[in-house]
Amino acid sequence: MLPAMAKIQFFAFILLYVASNCISVNVDNISSDVRIKNVDRSIDISSQLVKISSKITFENAGKVPVKQFLLAVEGAAKNNLAFIGARDSNNKDLRLVETTVKGHDNVKFYRVELKEPVNAAASVVITSDAVFSKALLPHPTAITQQEDQLVKYNSNLYFYTPYKVLTQKTTVVLNTKSVESFTKVKPFSQQDGNINYGPYSNIEPFTEKELSLHYKNNSPFLTVTRLERLIEVSHWGNIAIEEIIEIEHSGAKLKGPFSRYDYQQDHHSGPASVRSYKTLLPASASDVYYRDTNGNISTSNMKVKKDSVELDLRPRYPLFGGWRSHYTLGYNVPSYEYLYHSGNEYLLKMRAVDHVFDDMQIDELVTKIILPEGSTNIKINFPFAVTRLPDSLHYTYLDTKGRPVITFKKSNVVENHIQDFQLRYTFPRILMLQEPLLVVGFLYALFLCVIVYVRLDFSIHKPEHLKE
Amino acid sequence: MTADVQSKTKMPHLSSDKQLTFIKLAVLSMAAILSFGTRLFSVLRFESVIHEFDPYFNYRTTRYLTEEGFYKFHNWFDDRAWYPLGRIIGGTIYPGLMVTSATLYNIMQFLNITIDIRNVCVFLAPFFSSLTTIVTYLLTKELKDEGAGLVAAAMIAIVPGYISRSVAGSYDNEGIAIFCMLLTYYFWIKAVNTGTILWATMTALAYFYMVSSWGGYVFLINLIPLHVLALILLGRFSHRVYVAYSTLYCVGTVLSMQISFVGFQPVQSSEHMLALGTFGLCQLYLFTQYLRARLSPSNFELLFKALLTTLLATLGTALVVLTVTGKISPWTGRFYSLLDPSYAKNHIPIIASVSEHQPTSWSSFYFDLQVLVFLFPAGLYFCFTKLTDANIFIILYGVLSIYFAGVMVRLMLVLAPVMCIVSGVAASSLLSLHVKDIEPKAEKPDKKKKHENNLVFRSEVGALFVMVLCGLLVSYVFHCTWVTSEAYSSPSIVLSARAHDGARIIFDDFREAYTWLKMNTPEDAKVMSWWDYGYQITAMANRTVIVDNNTWNNTHISRVGQAMASSEEHAYEIMRELDVDYVLVIFGGLVGYSSDDINKFLWMVRIGGSTDRGAHIKEADYYTGAGEFRVDAHGAPALLNCLMYKMSYYKFGLVYTEGGRPPGYDRVRGAEIGNKDFNLDVLEEAYTTEHWLVRVYKVKPLPNRGL
Repeated sequence: MLPAMAKIQFFAFILLYVASNCISVNVDNISSDVRIKNVDRSIDISSQLVKISSKITFENAGKVPVKQFLLAVEGAAKNNLAFIGARDSNNKDLRLVETTVKGHDNVKFYRVELKEPVNAAASVVITSDAVFSKALLPHPTAITQQEDQLVKYNSNLYFYTPYKVLTQKTTVVLNTKSVESFTKVKPFSQQDGNINYGPYSNIEPFTEKELSLHYKNNSPFLTVTRLERLIEVSHWGNIAIEEIIEIEHSGAKLKGPFSRYDYQQDHHSGPASVRSYKTLLPASASDVYYRDTNGNISTSNMKVKKDSVELDLRPRYPLFGGWRSHYTLGYNVPSYEYLYHSGNEYLLKMRAVDHVFDDMQIDELVTKIILPEGSTNIKINFPFAVTRLPDSLHYTYLDTKGRPVITFKKSNVVENHIQDFQLRYTFPRILMLQEPLLVVGFLYALFLCVIVYVRLDFSIHKPEHLKE
Repeated sequence: MTADVQSKTKMPHLSSDKQLTFIKLAVLSMAAILSFGTRLFSVLRFESVIHEFDPYFNYRTTRYLTEEGFYKFHNWFDDRAWYPLGRIIGGTIYPGLMVTSATLYNIMQFLNITIDIRNVCVFLAPFFSSLTTIVTYLLTKELKDEGAGLVAAAMIAIVPGYISRSVAGSYDNEGIAIFCMLLTYYFWIKAVNTGTILWATMTALAYFYMVSSWGGYVFLINLIPLHVLALILLGRFSHRVYVAYSTLYCVGTVLSMQISFVGFQPVQSSEHMLALGTFGLCQLYLFTQYLRARLSPSNFELLFKALLTTLLATLGTALVVLTVTGKISPWTGRFYSLLDPSYAKNHIPIIASVSEHQPTSWSSFYFDLQVLVFLFPAGLYFCFTKLTDANIFIILYGVLSIYFAGVMVRLMLVLAPVMCIVSGVAASSLLSLHVKDIEPKAEKPDKKKKHENNLVFRSEVGALFVMVLCGLLVSYVFHCTWVTSEAYSSPSIVLSARAHDGARIIFDDFREAYTWLKMNTPEDAKVMSWWDYGYQITAMANRTVIVDNNTWNNTHISRVGQAMASSEEHAYEIMRELDVDYVLVIFGGLVGYSSDDINKFLWMVRIGGSTDRGAHIKEADYYTGAGEFRVDAHGAPALLNCLMYKMSYYKFGLVYTEGGRPPGYDRVRGAEIGNKDFNLDVLEEAYTTEHWLVRVYKVKPLPNRGL
């Protein structure tokens, strides 16, 4: 009895151990050898996004070379974090791995893996970029048509880090002088559209101090609540892309009536509303369409530029706070720019998400890739972490067994996510003949039937009225 | 044109018989393709979009049918319309159109042809007009010959009277009903000519399809009995006709009663009594024939007289009793207005307010039919010269439909096919008559000379005549294309105009407003508008409407009319009563769109005042002392202060519309508005489209107490 219990307990323990290992493979320690000599931080809150770019000088104060550092995001902001990246002094991207540190469960850590270790007493400069969405809250939450939009931004006055920081400076870019209120911790200065804080010296690890700004921000507050991107690959030389977009003005809600008269007479009317925005498509995009469930949206312009096609999209109506819209945008691109092959092996390299408008934020992105019928051995590499949804089949013209569809999902997407995925698959080229043969076979059978029907008499007997 | 001409073209390797078949096939398929192609103007100019008002309802129901399946569709109670009454859709529509497109859609989906249901709906009418072209050929072939059939097919392919209701995007019952009607006629002629049960049953099936798709089937079920009656009177009644009609009536009636909207009407309503009576008469007629063959003349006479008297007496009493007890429904208003054009105008404003129910003007006959108007009498003449059972039918059809087309513009549609058929007969007969003359008859000059000495320049006259006729036909083609392109190919949901520099301006305000409603109002918001826009709002904005184009409840529409015609306080009471959240008006004063709500306003007043609750609304109050309808400062005070006026012109008094005119100049009425400076107390502007065509107002909630 007893040994059996022990055995079970032992197995359970092993299972638990394995499971816990699986869940948190990455556990790091905060190295006490590392110090930060200087931080130059710029917080850009002039658009609807918060873009923080920090130039960090790490110093190895220990005795052994250090190969990695940690970046930390405080608990209050971590849910708004859309993107984080790091570059070295040569502007080369560094590898970032999400990790955890014992005792700091509420904090999100990223491990920066350096290309070359930092020797003792040496230092290295790293630039980290972080983008936060929905961190700017409209205050008041509802405004009338004529009013400006005021937003509030709450953050940390000091650079949030697990290391000790010797000196640091912060520049907040507002692009406006109309600031209702802002945190005043000396030394600070306000000039043009910027507010400068610091230098502050000797800040201990994980220090938090409130930084609060209340200012005018009339830049477009547009959220793509859902974007479904469909990429249909054809081996006949064409890739069709269709994006189904649901969009919402996520700024201060419109209070009271909408007056078309004021809106038409005075171009300063509705400062927080969005009349139109620009979408950039690949330079080779053709056959562009812009429509919704009620048909074509006739208010748009297309400009073909050298390196892109610029669409000036006007929704059917101007978007005020809280107003929503939806549309479908589609175009074709030639496949030779994105599809590479050697023999029967194919490689598709395309953007997982494309530009919708400047400083965009997408709540939910679903990308579907439809491959030609008969594709096998599908392997896909994503540029960032996504949720892969189950594969499905898609049937369209002249299909017999269906086209494989690869689907993946990602939430909280910003412009920095416009990166290529790589999809490899095998497609026997002889299958290209399947569809033409299908048509030929069908017509052949049809004509054969007609020939047989016309030449033979199928009647059992002649009815009275036909005999004569 | 005719077979004679065509056989002259020489083609190697083919016998003349095969050549003829080939040419017939070529002409017919070209006509079918042409009839599809000529209806695509609006798709090419604008886009693949559903047109006008009713098609939006059909489109919405079709979408529901494809998404939810037939059973749910059949039991569909629509809570998006006629708030708070709702509407039982399954039992109040002719489902043929929706079922047709859903079937086509499902077949194509099954074959992996991934076409959108909207495109199926848009292209259904052109597709069915192609089929109509083929059926017209078959029908005319039965009446006359193949040459006439080809001419008729070519004519119906482009006849504007039919195109007006079947352009791409005009997704309405008539689009397929004309095909069904001609198919039924074709089978009927076949059945009469052969006397087989097979063709008669086919007729019944085609009739069932017709019943399922259009209320105009009543015309058909009266025309066929009339044909039978005419045959009896002309002494042409035969066993063939008896078999054909008895089968058609029994099978057709039972089938037609399966459509829940039709129900028991085929045995109860007076519109169907002719068919029933003729059926009885057929039986009696044959029974008497049978008796006459068995009895001596004197006995027969006695029996016949006795039977006839009792029968007529019983029938008469039964009819009276049933009508009095309400078993046989009284004639509906729309049908009365068919018989007496002025009936609707005097009695039912809601029928009279629809432009397509107006009597047809002379010019529109020419506009819609052009050369057919002249060829038609000639065709009738040719029909009379060789009178057959089939010809009698087509003569009856032609004469009756001319009358009905004169009563109601909409029924031009029924007239157009018969015009084409009869004109096809005329053109073909005339051509084959004169083409013969052109050719030098060198083989037998002596014989000809003897008989036709008096005709000099025979071939020249023939050539001239053929040239004139060809000229007429060519002008017909140009006229039809011009009419189609200019008059019948505008989707009316998207408007377009020319700017001063010739560039095209698109007014897409309707869809702008509907999309705005759909995206930015609560899901359960109730929208009040004049009934014209009901179908569009439910289909495009997916919001509940108070009234829509299915004008089944006059008091409800009248209530909306009262709200529009009342002052703000009174209107607010009505709007609270109807639980309205948003009010939508169409206003064309800024861009000069003349069919806006102010121009329809008098109908709102008339319909609003036509019920008891709206008795206080009198049309005369909205006219000036001189009896004019004016929106300027001299306008009637009731007009200048009613809800519709205020909603249309809110803040319009500040706008400069035309150079050299004062602000607030209405470009449709050509007047400066009389009441400029006012505020809305119970409404607030929720949205106005770019060109002010559609204005949406939000009904304010009751003010808080104590404020």
